[in-house]
Amino acid sequence: MATVATHAAHSRLKFNRLGLWLFLVTEVFMFGGFLVMRFHLWGNTRPDLDQTLGFIVTLILLSSSFFMNRAEMAIAHDDRKNFLVGLLITGVLGVLFLVGVVGFEWRGHVRPTDGVYGAVLYGMTGMHALHVLSGIIFIFVILLNGLKGRYSSADHWGVEFCAIYWHFVDVVWVFFYPALYLIGTVAHV
Amino acid sequence: MTTLLTPQKKKAAAFRRGVMTFLILTVLTVVELWVSSATAGSPALLFIIALAKAGLILWYFMHVASLWSEEGH
Repeated sequence: MATVATHAAHSRLKFNRLGLWLFLVTEVFMFGGFLVMRFHLWGNTRPDLDQTLGFIVTLILLSSSFFMNRAEMAIAHDDRKNFLVGLLITGVLGVLFLVGVVGFEWRGHVRPTDGVYGAVLYGMTGMHALHVLSGIIFIFVILLNGLKGRYSSADHWGVEFCAIYWHFVDVVWVFFYPALYLIGTVAHV
Repeated sequence: MTTLLTPQKKKAAAFRRGVMTFLILTVLTVVELWVSSATAGSPALLFIIALAKAGLILWYFMHVASLWSEEGH
């Protein structure tokens, strides 16, 4: 009887993962469309963005992925303290990333009305920031559940889902960062 | 010959893997910045580095390799 229950749980986990990855495939199409738009409209040019800020927010997001991985590994080994601390740090770093992009980059000299440069910059960073925001909300929901002791090494699908989603948001930025800040020569907007 | 690791050692190994992945990602980001200034933003080189970074995240953080395994990650 226990074997049947275990098998059912494993099947459910596989289908959960399949559903999540199918969802991420649809996201790839959307973010891929943004990248195509950037190369079509900007070509081999880019606006003069703050390089230091771009580098810092990129490192912040990479660090948040590291702490998310640490939190996931911790709960997979029933290490509740490291799980909660890792998740909290991930959420805080996510907020810092948002502050960097929305609070500082969006106050730079490129405005949304600055033709294709403004449209592409705000479209790409805006859609990505929306995903970061939803990820932060997700992280704090998981954190609250974690404080109530709802996860264990045997059952932590919610944590796995949240972690994979967060890493996906990081992967998107891995492509957006060079596309917005590094590729091409500076065009003065 | 297979070596059986204790849960503590498995956790330490997973943490170490995470640190190494993060360090390589950071180095690649610095390399990106250097390539951008040295090559006037070569799209091909920067895209290759971005692919390498994405691959690392997919493999080590998103556990693509164990997607169909019956264990949790």
